This record gives sequence, structure tokens and C-alpha cells, in this order.
Amino acid sequence: MPTPRKDAWSDRIPVQPSDPRPIWSQIEEGLRRLLASSALAPGDPVPSVRELATDLRVNPATVSKAYQRLVGAGLLEVRRGDGTYVSATPPAVRKSEQTRLIRQAAMNFASLAITHGAELKTARESLEQAWEELSSNRRGDGR
Amino acid sequence: MTDEAVVRVDSVSVRYHQNLVVDRVSFTVARGAVYALLGRNGAGKSSLIRCLLGLQRPTSGQVFVFGEDVWRHRARLLGRTAYVPEACDAPGQLRVRDVVAFYKSMYPAWEESAVRDRLARIGVSESATVAALSKGQRALFTLALALGSKPELLVLDDPTLGLDVVARNDFFSDFIGELADRGTTVILTTHDLAGVEGIANRVGILQGAHLALDEEVEQMKLERGQSLEQVFTDITRVSGRLP
Repeated sequence: MPTPRKDAWSDRIPVQPSDPRPIWSQIEEGLRRLLASSALAPGDPVPSVRELATDLRVNPATVSKAYQRLVGAGLLEVRRGDGTYVSATPPAVRKSEQTRLIRQAAMNFASLAITHGAELKTARESLEQAWEELSSNRRGDGR
Repeated sequence: MTDEAVVRVDSVSVRYHQNLVVDRVSFTVARGAVYALLGRNGAGKSSLIRCLLGLQRPTSGQVFVFGEDVWRHRARLLGRTAYVPEACDAPGQLRVRDVVAFYKSMYPAWEESAVRDRLARIGVSESATVAALSKGQRALFTLALALGSKPELLVLDDPTLGLDVVARNDFFSDFIGELADRGTTVILTTHDLAGVEGIANRVGILQGAHLALDEEVEQMKLERGQSLEQVFTDITRVSGRLP
């Protein structure tokens, strides 16, 4: 996996201010997605509130609210004077959340494949290929 | 919230001859909040801003800033407030360093090094004349001047008007950094709804001299299931005229 660029958070956490969903919930959802997909691993640092707010161009209080909720859910932890990190020991609830997110993403993928007239076999192969690529990248990531 | 209110607009009306441009408008801005005051051209935003800054006396009603009547205590209150006008109002022939020196002489709490850093970051040379700055640089320079006095209240009048997308993003990034670092209370007017939608916590929409809406942005979106732009369009279209 390429090292995330310092300014890449707006690519990794898609936030649409014009989306009727509250922005804190979009940020929370985006971070949950990164956690569930292991793009953020236990112990990884997350950006400071200032950095993420500036990058996403949203009010710092909004980022703070999303972080507080994730800390409350046990997904993130604050290390005093150091920063905010992905919890080293993610809580058990994460499993059901993971299942929910995976189902949701599978639904999106399946509907995209069907829309483009792909066969189940082709779609499955694409998934397996993507899986392989990501797994080998993660192995080479040194974590 | 009363204790925490930095600004309290209390039934303010502004009348020019027979023309009532602001009609009994009331709202409060809590400490640390970013309040976006929206409205189409001629909706009374500028008159209200002038009242807020103590530059104009309301025809009736009062504006309280930090708990004090702005009109009566404007000299004292202006030291705690900074204003970013729509366009940089420093004379074009002056050099950046002269404008900075002028501001420094007015504000005892002037943050010399922070202003220097900010100017360096935005690529503004202190020896350049104001006229030589690009429009985007002028906007950032004006913001840097306003923040140099470490204001508790920042009032911005359509600060991103006419900026290209890069300059606008730079402006908002700088502005958000300030919010993160100091939790400054902000009132801004703007036509850039997309730009402020993620930044404002609360929004007021002026329509036909009245404050037609005064709500928390996230709450408003959640309840109405609409973006700020949709809500704004719905409210301001009532007059039946095209924008």
C-alpha cells in the first residue's frame, strides 16, 4: 500500500457538505470504513483535529465530534499530549459493524456489476483479484 | 446560552427614510460559534453588520457584544473585534510592511511573529505594494491583518467573493486553522454557500428585512433532509424574483 500522502485525507474520507447527512456523521462513517477495511490498522495515528478539519475544509468542532463518538465507541483512543490513534484493542462490536459495512459494500459492488451487465463469475474474479492485490500490498507494508 | 453569547442582536431595525431594510431582527452567537448570515443582495446583511461593528446606530433595538451595547461602547469593543471587509481597503500604493506597522501601532496585543509567518506562508512579500498582490493574496493578507490582533470576535463580509477556487480553498484552510487554534467566534456573510456549509455551525437567513431562519446547520439538514443551498433557495425564492 502506498504511504498515504499528508494531504490525502480528503480523498480517503469523502465528505460532501451539501449532503443532507450531518458532516460529523459522514466523517465518522468514513473513518469507520477505513478501520473496517484495515486501511487504518490498530495503533495507527489518525490526523489531528486541526489537520483533518483543514484538509476537509470543515469546522474543527465537527471533526472533534466525530472523533469523540469514535473514542466513545472504543475505536479510537486519545494519548494525552501525543495524539489520537486507532485503538490497539478494538472492541468486540467491531465485528458486527464490519459485517454490516462489508454487506453494504458488496451490495454496491454487485449493483455496479449488474448495471454493467457483468456475469457473476467475472465479478467474483474481479473481487478475488482485488483481494489478492490488497493482501500482497499489506504483506509488503511491513506491519 | 445567555452567559456564553458573544453577540446578541436584540430586535434590531434599520430604516433609511421610508425604506425598512432590517425589521426587528434578533439572534445570538455563542462563544466559539461560526454564524453565517445569508441573504440575497439588498436583504439587509450589510446594514446589520455595520450595526454589529458599532459603525451604525440601529433605528431601534440594540446589539450587545461581550454583553455590552455596541453603539455606546464601540471604541472599547472594537479592540476585541476584527473585521475582514469584502475587499482589502488598504491603499494600493502602500507596502505590506507599512500596513502591518500601522495595524501594529493600533493593537497592543499585536502578534508580530504570527503575522510574519502567515505572510511568508501565503507568499506575500513585506516589501510588495498592496496593489501588486493578487486578489487571492489580498484576501489572505486582509485575514492575516485581522487575525494579528488576536480578536475574540471576527466579522467577515463575503470574504471569498471573486476568488478563484485555489485562493478560496487557501482562504478557508487558513480560516479553519484559526478556528482550531483559538476557537474565535465568527460572524460571516457570504454568497458562497458550498464554502461555508461545512464551516458554519449556525445559519441565519435574511429575507425581506426579516430573519426568516436561525438554526443550527447540522440540525437543519437533519430535520429538513436538504442542503443549505436548497433551504436557502426555498426561503429566498418566496419573493418570486430571479436571483
